[in-house]
Amino acid sequence: MGLLARRKRTKIILAFLLPELALILSFVLIPIMGTFVISFKTDHGYGLDNYYGVITERSPDKALVIPENIVKAQPPPWGALIHNIVWVAIHVPIVVFLGLGIAYLLHDVIGSSIVKSIMFLGMVIPMVVGGLLIRFMFDGDLGVVPLLFRKLGIEALSRTWINYPQTALIALILGSVWLWTGFSLTVYAAALESLPKSYIEAAKVDGASGFQIFFKVVFPLLKHATIVVVIMTMLWDLKIFDIVFVSTLGGPGGATNVMALIMYTYFARALDYGRSAATAVILALISLIPGIWFIKRVMRSGS
Amino acid sequence: MTARVYLKNIVKRFGKVVAVDHVNLEVREKEFLVLLGPSGCGKTTTLRIIAGLEFPDEGRVYIDDKDVTDLEPKDRDVAMVFQNYALYPHLTVRDNIAFPLIIRRKQLGLTREEIYKKVLEVAKLLRIEELLDRKPGQLSGGQQQRVALARALIRRPKVWLMDEPLSNLDALLRLQMRAELKRLQREVGITTIYVTHDQAEALSMADRIAVMNKGRIVQVGTPEDIYLRPQHVFVATFIGTPPMNIIRCITDLRNNKLYLHCPGIEREIPPEVAKHLREDMELLLGMRPEFVEVHKEPGPDTIKAKILVVEPQGSELILNLNISPEDREETIVKVKTKATRKYSPGETVYLELDWTKISLFDAKTGKALA
Ligand SMILES: Nc1ncnc2c1ncn2[C@@H]1O[C@H](COP(=O)(O)OP(=O)(O)OP(=O)(O)O)[C@@H](O)[C@H]1O
Ligand SMILES: [Mg+2]
Repeated sequence: MGLLARRKRTKIILAFLLPELALILSFVLIPIMGTFVISFKTDHGYGLDNYYGVITERSPDKALVIPENIVKAQPPPWGALIHNIVWVAIHVPIVVFLGLGIAYLLHDVIGSSIVKSIMFLGMVIPMVVGGLLIRFMFDGDLGVVPLLFRKLGIEALSRTWINYPQTALIALILGSVWLWTGFSLTVYAAALESLPKSYIEAAKVDGASGFQIFFKVVFPLLKHATIVVVIMTMLWDLKIFDIVFVSTLGGPGGATNVMALIMYTYFARALDYGRSAATAVILALISLIPGIWFIKRVMRSGS
Repeated sequence: MTARVYLKNIVKRFGKVVAVDHVNLEVREKEFLVLLGPSGCGKTTTLRIIAGLEFPDEGRVYIDDKDVTDLEPKDRDVAMVFQNYALYPHLTVRDNIAFPLIIRRKQLGLTREEIYKKVLEVAKLLRIEELLDRKPGQLSGGQQQRVALARALIRRPKVWLMDEPLSNLDALLRLQMRAELKRLQREVGITTIYVTHDQAEALSMADRIAVMNKGRIVQVGTPEDIYLRPQHVFVATFIGTPPMNIIRCITDLRNNKLYLHCPGIEREIPPEVAKHLREDMELLLGMRPEFVEVHKEPGPDTIKAKILVVEPQGSELILNLNISPEDREETIVKVKTKATRKYSPGETVYLELDWTKISLFDAKTGKALA
């Protein structure tokens, strides 16, 4: 390509790029920078006061870690940050295996697309509605889950889960499994669809059992789908807000508090924008860890 | 260890397509059977039915006199080389080849070291030992194909099924691998069903060849049978380079004797063949290009022919000749001859057929006579 042609090409590329850049700048980058700046603003100029305040806050409705009502060796509250981490630790593996398992079982089954569509509904309904549904599901009088445990004769689990600190967090996490498995299922179903049949056939002829085919051939070949599911689920868990807001508002006694909810509490209740921004920055930094890992994996597999 | 394979009246349909059409085939113990046929004739489907990857719509499959039709592939103890290789992309070449043994490690009582030692042996045989640490994505087509072959050869199953396992190799390597493969198969005596559409491969490797066309098996026989005594026009025209010449003829009754009447050819039909024939029947006369002699001068039993084209082929020539007595009509015959003298287009020559090596087919059914 000649120099002139290249210049012309550069111009064309710029012409296409500039509008997007302008949009991203004004609606994404500048607000992010703004949040960043606000998070450092204090009564006497700039400093780390907001961060210090957010991290050392001990009141049950705002504590990131170690709330004042924490009880040793006891169920929540443990602090919003810990709740988020627990959420990830429980939610991610369940969603991965449930989604993959159902996708694998439904793979090549006639009519499976109907089942998949129904499961995908969890993704389509607004999360606010999802939060309400979770309230119903775990309600002591109406809910299906307490009902099940009543039938099993387990009295402690047959009451309204979200009213008790012992069960509130796990109720929300299980509810989010129900809402989010459709995503995992969809990603895995698509990946399975595009997986050439011949690999599984080769493994069959080579003498592999169903288990071996799944663990030695199918699961490794779905690595990319797994990365996508794990990362997206982690990010979703870290910024979880709506279902908590609708069903428990972080209660009882801060037992279901999460970081995004604390950010909201500072912002809309305490009207402390500095601390709200500081919480947002902390949340963003934590979310960057899986994000960067994801980008690295994608870059590596792309080359 | 080794086994007999028997296909009984197998039918396989894909929608309206009949991929395998009432196939009956017996593969003997320790035999190297080649399934030969044009693209799309159902070779792969037949292999997949034997492997258990495809369920026949009709018929039964027997391995070792045991009905395995309803058995899973893993319970049939066969190894297969897939036409599209089907190497596991996430495993190295070493682990790809080791896979069938690793899967059965406990059963076989092998340690990992022993398995990898075997991998190295097979890899050496197929000359891929430098590739063992690579992933399949980093290999050329021919290299992948040999890895796929290695993955089948590392086992000693009841049956080896190979779907065009050498099709992607260069000419020299293919010749060497044919020899290696044949030697190994003789040595270990594992019943082998080998699919190819390369007739040279079939003729040089097979104990017996099964020729397929449009889902049916047209003829099963030794390479010699297939070459010299084709049972069907299809076999005659599919095998040989160039294939057998086919000339349309008609029977003619004179003096109570049946004559074969073809363009440029008149000949009495031997009585033992003639007793199956009637007058005015359409027949096809088949003659292999290499069983015709070319003379300068007319002889007692020669056919006059005019050279149309001369195709040099190294030490041999292929002459395209018109044997029709009338110049307006054309009956083209190809003849292979030594390039010891010069031929030029337009020249008239005289052909002498080896009448012991000709074939006669019924023009309607295509089946060989007598
Ligand atoms: N899964 C399938 N679905 C529909 N049609 C199929 C399927 N597999 C094979 N066929 C059809 O069955 C016929 C036989 O196919 P097959 O693959 O057995 O041919 P082949 O002899 O192996 O050909 P090639 O030499 O090209 O590999 C073809 O007409 C093909 O289109
Ligand atoms: Mg094929």
